[in-house]
Parts: sequence; structure tokens; C-alpha cells
Amino acid sequence: MPPSLPFIRLVHRNLRKYRFKIGLSITIAILVLSLISQYIAPYPREGLGYVPVGEENRRLLHPSPQHLFGTDTLGRDLFSRVIMASRSAIIQAFSVVFLSLIIGLIVGVLAAYFKGLVELVLNYLTELFMAIPSIVIALFFRLTLEAGFHVVIISLVTTWWAWYARITYVYAKGVVELDYVVLAKLSGLSSAKIIMRHVVGVIIQPILVQAISDLGSALLEASGINFMGLGLPPGYPDWGVILYEGISEMGIMAFTRTPWLVFYPGLFILLTTLGFTLLADPLREDLDPRLRRRWKLWF
Amino acid sequence: MDSILELQRVTAGYKSIKGFKSLIKRVEIVLRDISFTVEKGERVAIIGESGSGKTTILRVILGLLKPISGKVLIYGKDLYSLPSDQKLQILRRIGYVPQDPYRSLNPVLKIKYIVGEPLEAVGVEWRHIEERASEVLKIVGLPQSIINDTAEELSGGMRQRVLIARAIIAEPEILVLDEPTSALDVSIQAQIINLLNSIYNTFKVTMITVTHDLGVAQYLADRLIILKSGKIVEEGSVDEVLRNPKSEYTKSLITSYLQITGINSLNNIKIRG
Amino acid sequence: MVLAVRAGGISIGYIDEEEEYIVWAVRGVDLAIEEGDAFCLVGESGSGKTTFASAIAGILPPHAVTRGKLYIFDRLAIDESTWNFNGLRGRVVSYIPQNPGTSLSPFLTVEDHFYYVLRDTLRYDREKSRKAAMEALLKVGLDRGVLEDYPHELSGGMQQRVLIAIALASNAKIIVADEPTSAIDANLRASVLQLLGRLNREYRVTLLLVTHDLASTSIVCNRLAVMLAGKIVETGRTISVLRNPQHPYTKMLLDCVPLLGVKKPLKPLPGEPIQVVEDKAICPFRERCPRAIDKCVEEPPLKPVGDEENHYVKCWRLTGVESG
Repeated sequence: MPPSLPFIRLVHRNLRKYRFKIGLSITIAILVLSLISQYIAPYPREGLGYVPVGEENRRLLHPSPQHLFGTDTLGRDLFSRVIMASRSAIIQAFSVVFLSLIIGLIVGVLAAYFKGLVELVLNYLTELFMAIPSIVIALFFRLTLEAGFHVVIISLVTTWWAWYARITYVYAKGVVELDYVVLAKLSGLSSAKIIMRHVVGVIIQPILVQAISDLGSALLEASGINFMGLGLPPGYPDWGVILYEGISEMGIMAFTRTPWLVFYPGLFILLTTLGFTLLADPLREDLDPRLRRRWKLWF
Repeated sequence: MDSILELQRVTAGYKSIKGFKSLIKRVEIVLRDISFTVEKGERVAIIGESGSGKTTILRVILGLLKPISGKVLIYGKDLYSLPSDQKLQILRRIGYVPQDPYRSLNPVLKIKYIVGEPLEAVGVEWRHIEERASEVLKIVGLPQSIINDTAEELSGGMRQRVLIARAIIAEPEILVLDEPTSALDVSIQAQIINLLNSIYNTFKVTMITVTHDLGVAQYLADRLIILKSGKIVEEGSVDEVLRNPKSEYTKSLITSYLQITGINSLNNIKIRG
Repeated sequence: MVLAVRAGGISIGYIDEEEEYIVWAVRGVDLAIEEGDAFCLVGESGSGKTTFASAIAGILPPHAVTRGKLYIFDRLAIDESTWNFNGLRGRVVSYIPQNPGTSLSPFLTVEDHFYYVLRDTLRYDREKSRKAAMEALLKVGLDRGVLEDYPHELSGGMQQRVLIAIALASNAKIIVADEPTSAIDANLRASVLQLLGRLNREYRVTLLLVTHDLASTSIVCNRLAVMLAGKIVETGRTISVLRNPQHPYTKMLLDCVPLLGVKKPLKPLPGEPIQVVEDKAICPFRERCPRAIDKCVEEPPLKPVGDEENHYVKCWRLTGVESG
């Protein structure tokens, strides 16, 4: 049975809202940038982390037409590095949220639908994982594995799926007792079909919206792990790594003497996060009418 | 006459299982020693206020709640001792219309999938399901145009009609109605009552209605079973029960009903006026 | 005679979500309720009866828009688009909500409920509010024992009585009750309605009862108005309307009420209750009316019926236009 796609309709309905348009433009811009950055970057090799020849003369140059964002402590062109880092941002944010969503959705729905022991075990498991901070897991994986994307993604997914399991469980719990689920059970529809159609099909919208707004938080947390040097290897084009390199070399002086080292990667993290948030907020309001016209209360 | 449904000394209740408390099982008894028989082609109403256990009776009949003791016989077979596939076979002969039309329709599903679900579950091809779905929509008086819409935009009365269409699509022999009109406006309530009776007449089903409203019950049933705190206090034909109620509870139900809408009040107007 | 409520051409609407258009729920209603009256607003869902009642109680939501004038005891409460319910809401007019279960806070005892209401409206202290509460509870037929109870310890009927007692204790002159019986069991309905009727007669409280059940109006109300799609289609003394309904809609409503012990066929007209969005001046019942004529595309005036006192009806058929 082809399900009608209410999520598409939800997006379509919101297309004329300003915030949504801005959020969508920022998100699309970052996505496009992540695809084409290696072709438009003026110094693609430096962007990838290779130290250029004659780096002594190019260290910490101020922003100029030659180096739009200036250069970093190893003389690499910061503009190339920052725009090429958009790819790692997109990869990390999307894979963390996507994997967590899939795992969380399965666990949450199963816990709500099959009551009793399954519910008990899955819920305690969820709570257990919610209690573990992702930094600790990142540290553990960093000590046992090579540096790379897998450290960031595994350590974040390990803790994040539990949140999706929890919200899915809460939404699903409210649906599984409703009469249409009872009716479907009575007519003998298979459990898999009931779960897909009457549970997942009904609750998926708010969870997808939650996932979209979480993309920003995922990016922030991934940048945090990279900033602490626990995730991607040094030199890799990633906003967290760039910040880490800048600050570890310059110390607190980075903010005053070489502000471009922290400003540009920070700006891109901010913009991308803002884009995801602006994208998700109108959708959330649409799903929950109580949030509408909240601003009027302030006047 | 053959009995189609029989409850034999059914006692039922709910276990409370939560977290570690599952070690201590507490059972709250809702129904005590309920026995009644429904003959084929009968219209029976189970009357009770909230907390009387009428919803629990429904759950027991629909195979959703295993009684603590006693038997539920449908077509002479003990529902809760059958293997699950045979139990399903029996349950498919029951059409069920749930209580609240606003919470009983999947909000993201098209009407044709909602209505056609009982046939889909037994593996009928979609071509036939769609044909059949438009047939039953016609029977319940809904326009064909809504078949590809979702239920979100429908009014309460239309939702109730969709639920009735879904209940009758697989040609059940028993129709179980849970408060079929309590959420509806007066004129829509009357439409639904007339619709249910015309379905009863055309399809020769057995109709079991659960309601708290005596006025509705009198239109949808020939026999009344009156329930109070999990026990049957009175049973008999509508005329019998209304004309000379035996239990005090039934009497109080009837007087309070008459005080509100009954002939008494209209007569009073004539006297006063 | 003092007029408790006077509405002059009042319209109430809600701004649509996208703020594109206004949905008018009440459309140009003229109404006068005398002090001491027990007045019933009858209508099906979408008729605007709840909106009108909440305007009188002063609890319109902030996204509502209004036109026309509403006076409560000669005080201008709604003047075109500005509202001023200060000193009226909770003091002169008190509201009894539909669902007692969700209207009482589960964390407060009955006494606390009285105290917080009376402290804010009448500046009572604990002692005084307790005394007033006991008096009011006596009036509604509850004993003082319930003061210490939490709402969940009371039955639906008792919760509703507590709400009525709170309304009484605040010395309200008008009580607006929005479907007070729809959420409680059938056998308790009569007693709640009778209680409201008794309060009206004994304490001269003006009562505005909103209901969808035309037949139940007779035990409480002396006057009623039937609303359809935001307009009053028939109004008059309860006795004369129920005994001699003129508007085809009123007749249909009476035909649809099941009467216990009387096996009359229910005769609903096909179709759904109409919720008119666009502000067109047509007879709102035209689509469903079995006696519709060509003239019905225009809105009929509210005309008196025969020689009955105060009985008005809005139908072309009864104003001498019989062609078609």
C-alpha cells in the first residue's frame, strides 16, 4: 500500500514562510558548497591540510584579496579550508542524526507496541544510554581506534539514538491505544503492517521535524569533539579541527591577535546551525498549533 | 433460534503491571459473574454509566481481554481457548464501531485504505477492495469523492459513517457498537440511528450496542441489559423494562431520563401553559 | 425591568491561522436577556452558541474579532472591536465550563479552589472564603465535608456542583453554563439541570444555558433562542417554542430527540449542520430545508409569530411569502 506522504505536504505548506525560506536557502547553500567546494577552493591542496611550500612567509596572514579569510598557523589558506570543511560538517550532522533516528525509531516503536518485558528491557536500555556522555565514548574510541569520521559518528550515535527512542516511545505510546490500532488488530492485519501504517505513519512527522532541528545540535557536538582533538585527525578540513588548531597554537590570543582564525569557522558553524533551526521551527509550529502566534503574547 | 454469543459467568478485570511492581500482581475486578446470551438476529443494548464495566464487556467480547474466569462462546466456540488463527477467524465475523469517531480514524490514511483494511487483511486484491469500498460508502450515504481524502477534514457524523462502512465491508454477522452517537449532534445522531437500523434490516446482522443513553438504546435495541458496577441488575425486552422496571437502579435511570427529555416535561408544559 | 445582557448586532469571528480571512462564528445577533431570566441558547456544533456565550462571560480568545455592541447590566463590554470586561468577568458574570473534570485543578482541594477565586474577585481572606464556600455548597446540595476533598475524589456530578457553587459564592449576577451536562452521565444530568433552575428561581441569578438538546431546555429555562450558523432563527418563551415550533430547523431538532417510551420515528433532514464561512446574506437553512422557496436566497427578517408574546422566527415561509 502506498502511503500518502504528509511530510511532503507539510513542507509544501510552509514554503511561503520567510523563516522557512531563509532556512532552506542556507541549508541548500551549505549542501551545494559541500559538493563543489573542492573545485572552487583557490588552494584545494592546502584545504585538505597539506602545508604549502614556503610556509614560513605565509603564516598568519591577515585577510586579503589573495587569502580571503587569511592564513592559519601553518600558512594554509583559511578560505579553502573553511569552505572545504562544509563537507565534513554535512557528513557528520546527517549521518549522526540519520543513524540515531533509525535505531531510536525501531527501539521506541517496539517498546511501545509490544508491552510487558520488551517494553521494560528496551526502556531501561534507553535510559542507560542516555546517561552516558558522548565525550567519554569519543575518548574511549579515540584511544582504541584510528582518528576519523567513525569516532565522531559512533560516539555521537551511541548516545543520541536513546533520545530518539524516548521521543518515539512517548509519541507511539499515545497512539498504540487508539481505536484504529485496535480495529486493525481485530481485522487480523499483521503486526508489521500495523506498526508501519498506524504507528510509524502517524508519529513520523513530529519526529522528522525534531530530527531536522537536531541537525544543528549534532553539528555543534561533532565540532566540539573535533575541537578537543578526539575525532578527526589534525589537518583535516573540519570547522572543529580548524578552531582547535587555531586556538591550540595561539592560545587565548587567537581572539585578539588573529581573530580570523576563530571567526570564520565559528561563523560557518553558526550559519549552518541557524539554517537547520530556521528550517525546523516553522514545521514544528505547523504541527503544534499552540506554538502559533506566540510572539503576540510579548506585546 | 441459535445463540450467537454467550457469556458464561464471566469475571474480568485488569492486572496492574508496571516496572518492578510486576512481582506483585494486583487485579482489579471490573466485571463480576456476568452471564447473558444473544440470539442470532437480535438487537441488544448494554446500558450502564461510566465505570459500570460496559467497555470491559466489549473488550471481552472482542477478544482483547481474557476473563479471569468464565467462558465467552461465539458460535458455540470458546473464544479464549481457541488457537489464535481460529480466534481471528471468529473475530472477523464481528464488525466493531468504536466510541470516539475523532480518535478512531488514522489521520494520515486515505479513506479507501481505512475502509478497505478488513478485506486487505484477508488478502483480497486492491482492485476488488476499492470497488467494494465505494459500494459500502454508498450504503452509508457518503459521497464517492472522499475516497481519496484523509479523514482530517471530515465532520463527526461523516467520520462515524466511515467507521460504519469499515465495520460492514467484510459482511460481518455481528455488529458491535460502542456509544455510536454520544459524540454527535442531535440531528446527526438521528441520522446515524436510522442508518444503523436500515443496515440491520438489509443485512440481517446481530446488533450489540453499548450505551449510557436509554433514549438511544430504545431505538437501537429490542432487549436491554442494564449494568451497574460490574453486575447485571436487570435484563428484558425494551417494553418490559421501560414499563415496569424491577430494580431500583433502572427506575432511577428512567425517572431521571424522563425528567430531562421525556414526555413528562412536554406534558408539564401543556399543563403549565 | 433591568436588562442583564443586551447585544446589538454583535458579530464575533476568529482570524484564520494564516491571517488571511476571518471566520465569523456569530453574525449580527440582537438579543436581550432580562434580569432573573433563565435563557437557553440551543444549537448544534458550529452554530456559534459557545462563542456567543464566551463573549458574555468575557473569555473570548485573543485572536477573536468583534463587531457591534454588547452591554452587561448597562455597561458597555464590547464596543465594536474593543473589549472591556474589567469588573465584569468573574464578578458580575461567572462561567461554568463544559467538562468539570478538566476545569478543576487536581492539586487543589475544593476549599483552595474557593479561596483563590474569592481572594481575587472579592478580596476575601481564608476565614471569609471558607464561610462563603460552606454557604454556597449548602445551596447546591453538597455538605461541608467536600471542602477538604480533592476533585478526583468527587463524582462528575459533584464536581459540576462544586463549580456551580464557586460561581454562586462569587456573588455573580449572571451564570453562563456551557453544556454543563454533556460530560456527565445521563442519570446525573437531570439533577444538575434542576439545580441550575432552582438557583435561578430562588436566588434570582440570571442564567444563560448553552445546550444542544432542545427538549431538556423545558425543565430550566423560560426563554430560549435557537441558533443556526451564527444567527438566531427562532426565539421566544420556551413553552410556546416547544409547543408550537415555527422554523423548520426547530421542528427538525424536536423530531430528532429520542423520547423515552414513545416510539416515534426520528426524522432528521439529510445533510450536515452548516458552518457558513463567507458572510453572505442567505437563509442558512436553505440547503437542508424541505420547504425552501426561491426567496430563501435572501436572508429573512426576524418576524413575530401570530399573537404569541415575544415569539420571533426568521423564515420567509412565515412572513406571508408563499410563492415558489
